[in-house]
Amino acid sequence: MGGYGDVQMIDENGLRVDGRGPADIRPVSIETGVIPVADGSARVIWGTNHAVAAVYGPMEAHPRKIQRQDRAVLDVRYNMAPFSTTDRMRPGFNRRSREISKVTADALESVVLLEMYPRSKIRIEIEILTAEAGTRCVGLTAASVALAHAGIPMTDMVVSVASGKINDVVVCDLNKEEDNYGEADLPMGILPNTGELVFLQMDGDLSPAEFQEAWDYNMEAALVVHQIMVEALKGGDA
Amino acid sequence: MMDGRLRATKHGRVNEKGSEVAIEPFRTAYIPRPSDMVIGYVEGCTNNIWFIDIGAPFNAILPMSLGPGKAAFGGTRSILDIGEAVLCRVQEVEETHSSVVTMKGLGLRKIRSGNIEQVDPHLLGRLIGKGGKALSQLKEDTGCRIIVADNGRVWVDGEFDSIITVRDRLQAMSDDAKSTGVGA
Amino acid sequence: MAIPLVPQLLRAHLAELAENDQRHDGRARWDSRETELELGVLQNAEGSAKVRMGDTIVYAGVKFQIMTPYPDRPNQGGLMCSAEIRPVAGRNWEPGPPSPESIELGRVVDRGIRESGCIDVDNLCIIPGEKAWQVILDLFAISDDGNLFDAFALAGIAALKTAMLPEVRFEMSDTDRPLPVSKTPTMCSYHKVGGRFVYDADGKEELGGDERIHITLGDDGHVHSLQKGLKGIFTADEFAEIMEHAQGRCEELRQMILRAEG
Repeated sequence: MGGYGDVQMIDENGLRVDGRGPADIRPVSIETGVIPVADGSARVIWGTNHAVAAVYGPMEAHPRKIQRQDRAVLDVRYNMAPFSTTDRMRPGFNRRSREISKVTADALESVVLLEMYPRSKIRIEIEILTAEAGTRCVGLTAASVALAHAGIPMTDMVVSVASGKINDVVVCDLNKEEDNYGEADLPMGILPNTGELVFLQMDGDLSPAEFQEAWDYNMEAALVVHQIMVEALKGGDA
Repeated sequence: MMDGRLRATKHGRVNEKGSEVAIEPFRTAYIPRPSDMVIGYVEGCTNNIWFIDIGAPFNAILPMSLGPGKAAFGGTRSILDIGEAVLCRVQEVEETHSSVVTMKGLGLRKIRSGNIEQVDPHLLGRLIGKGGKALSQLKEDTGCRIIVADNGRVWVDGEFDSIITVRDRLQAMSDDAKSTGVGA
Repeated sequence: MAIPLVPQLLRAHLAELAENDQRHDGRARWDSRETELELGVLQNAEGSAKVRMGDTIVYAGVKFQIMTPYPDRPNQGGLMCSAEIRPVAGRNWEPGPPSPESIELGRVVDRGIRESGCIDVDNLCIIPGEKAWQVILDLFAISDDGNLFDAFALAGIAALKTAMLPEVRFEMSDTDRPLPVSKTPTMCSYHKVGGRFVYDADGKEELGGDERIHITLGDDGHVHSLQKGLKGIFTADEFAEIMEHAQGRCEELRQMILRAEG
């Protein structure tokens, strides 16, 4: 978080740099079947973010040491393509990607019915093709759709979104400038049917009231995106 | 798989009515059950067992004693080589979903000729038809031997041109299903 | 990459198909799969393209960086082609360092573009001896159903041809200008399947097939790069047949790019 409180990102009418009101989410579109060779796949375009996710499995868990006798393991890879950012990202090992892969796996392990496939693994490949703030949220959301598309049973979908604070105003779904120059960032992974959480992080400064506002914005956004997910899954492949 | 908490979503149709859930998945990994007839590929072997890929999360095991012909230690590859295809039956499945298959049984054998197609599970019903009618018709029309295995693999054998005809019919069925939105 | 199992029945079936002048998906010997080309698909890249050939889908993105020219070539910039086939693209693509297969893919496509001279690295100078443009072409596969070579080659040149030097972002000028690309080299790949060469092999044909030949032709049918891959022997006649097809198809692909550019 930059904490540059003096960068004006919201005007007196409550309009943000991209024309949104404080409660508005960026435009979201979701498609399934975008990677035909995969067992399940999805594309999520969220603002300028463009992510694809593929699911392979369940399959035999190799190497043997990652196998668990009583359940499946999720093998998650989150990666940003070299051309996804303004400055090119060198391919190769990346600490941030490794952390996000793990956090995404933890989130999804909470909803996938892993006990149905002991000793096997399910591969989840998340690729960010264009990045614009909130890529970890978009990736987790895309992975959730891809899992459903692959027929992997889950207790619920996961919608992930990050609200925060800019110029002392709590806003829903931060874009790039807001993420860079705002005062707080609260990404959450939400189960839309129950409102339960599988993923939570926070950076910055929020009063208890502001925290609740940001929380509520995320919950509302999750319901909106969930509808889009269901439509995409019902609608058939790309 | 019904349980009050389960609001599972699978690609396709989800019906949530209180605690009841109906799921009709369009794609699922094949989960073997005892007495399923399956078409598999030999992936590897030791001196007295073969590992068979049946399209399940785990390879199935075919012990020498349940293989084709007489049991003899060693020489597994001369009986069934890596990459060969077999028609076999699931004998037992242990709780971790790995299975044992057998080739002792009526009609079970090494597949020596013809072609094997993979058919999506939701199209199998259409392929077979009511009471097996559609399948019988297809066999009659083309003069092919067609065996639809429980793991979604279909073995087609016969004259080359007839095999092509069956392949074209399967493709047409799949295209048709996609365009009418059924099952895809 | 995990070596996938090649069912013996598949090879036998492909051989029988070849004898009857057929392919397993009903195509004729020299038919390509349905090919789609889209430009400008990646918003953070300075040039981009997406190619779909059947179920094979790839992206190409062009990014620019400032480099310091080599002391013995003070006016020269650089061109780097990098190909990645990440595990997202298929069941058999495993995580880890680039496999020999993906390295070969990158190098074959790189050669096709570089050897045509379509990018004049002498023309990328900004301040002699101090700054020059480095052009980085990233080829990224998201779905592999065979013939990544041609998909990468097509997407790569299309992305380069529509790339804009980001002079505004680097505060050199108040408008961006197009990257000068003097030719449109295109690649055609042929795989030996069931004993004869076919064009645009898909995943199954690559699995059950043998050696392959890649041909990159520039404008006016000039030959810029050739590569034979994998084990196997081919005859001069077989090569002549392929070359004849390549002359026609490479030109078709070139037209496809020109049409998309508009």
